[in-house]
Amino acid sequence: LCRISMSMTEIRSGFSAIKANIQARDPIRTLSILSYPHSLHKVKSSDRCCITHQLFNFYVDKVFKHCKTEDSYVNRKISSIANSFLSVKRKLRQCHEQNKCMCGQEPTEKFKQILANYEGLNVTSAAIKSLGELDILLDWMEKS
Amino acid sequence: SGELYCSLPNPRNVHFESVNMKNVLHWSAPEGAGDGVLYKVKYSVYGVGKWIRKPECRNINRTWCDLSSETSDYEEQYYASVKAFLNGMCSDWMETTRFNPLTDTKIDPPMVSVSSTEKSISIILTAPEKWKRSPEGESISLLQVYPGLQYNVSVLNKKTKKRWFFSISNNTLVVPWLEPGTAYCVSAQIYVTTPLLHSGFSKEHCIATLKDK
Repeated sequence: LCRISMSMTEIRSGFSAIKANIQARDPIRTLSILSYPHSLHKVKSSDRCCITHQLFNFYVDKVFKHCKTEDSYVNRKISSIANSFLSVKRKLRQCHEQNKCMCGQEPTEKFKQILANYEGLNVTSAAIKSLGELDILLDWMEKS
Repeated sequence: SGELYCSLPNPRNVHFESVNMKNVLHWSAPEGAGDGVLYKVKYSVYGVGKWIRKPECRNINRTWCDLSSETSDYEEQYYASVKAFLNGMCSDWMETTRFNPLTDTKIDPPMVSVSSTEKSISIILTAPEKWKRSPEGESISLLQVYPGLQYNVSVLNKKTKKRWFFSISNNTLVVPWLEPGTAYCVSAQIYVTTPLLHSGFSKEHCIATLKDK
């Protein structure tokens, strides 16, 4: 079992502070990066670790770096969230290296779909939309 | 039919007001519109392509619309939109921000019941239920929705005005070593660490410990 401690409250409060600002920059209501075509809530519990690991890599490698805004307050909040994600990403990689966070076909397919949703938009729009969906990820992670 | 020419001022401050996931859309009338304005409402699930009209909120003159039924799946997020009509004119559709029932709802205080012995009081707390379509519908406690739900409890000695605070995860609390024949008042609040949510404190429930035999 892969057990990781993370500062969920800190990430949550950071995101709450910029949620309205970031979501207002995403005009596309008809597409979701994380939830299309199937909600994260459909992921089997045995696949949660794999998807979580891939999503933290996704946010660190593809999302945060493309979310620069003209608002320094928003940028500071984004980098604080990114730092929290970076430390969790490292812990998840250790789990993976210890074969505790393996990926089967289903979660791999699910993550491919997320990447396809992301690559279906231009980089900045995709990154901002993904950032605006952070509460979808956090809600799913916290669901028992 | 062709879209009317929309020059009516827009409805303002279109937003969800949510308590225990009873999700009601509210807005303010267009500036200076006076009487006779009618509205219609639509909503959409974030990430899904289509807007859905709310028939019960078509051609209404009130400035709210209960969308609890339509937004009851708290694993989804939503937008809602309002359009105003007056004397053949109309406004633009005015949208809410993205609404997440799980993080954007307010929570009522818990129900508090107290009993006492000579030197202790026992407190039982009950978290409110999630909104449900009908009284016969399945009851879902907010405790099931928010696994990290906790209670902050305040106990006041009415005579000495001394107050204690307790933070508990389960819903019962026994406060021992109290003075016999003394009035104590209890109030409680719900506190969820993540997502960060907290209710107000409940009104005070006062009880006296039994007198010494």
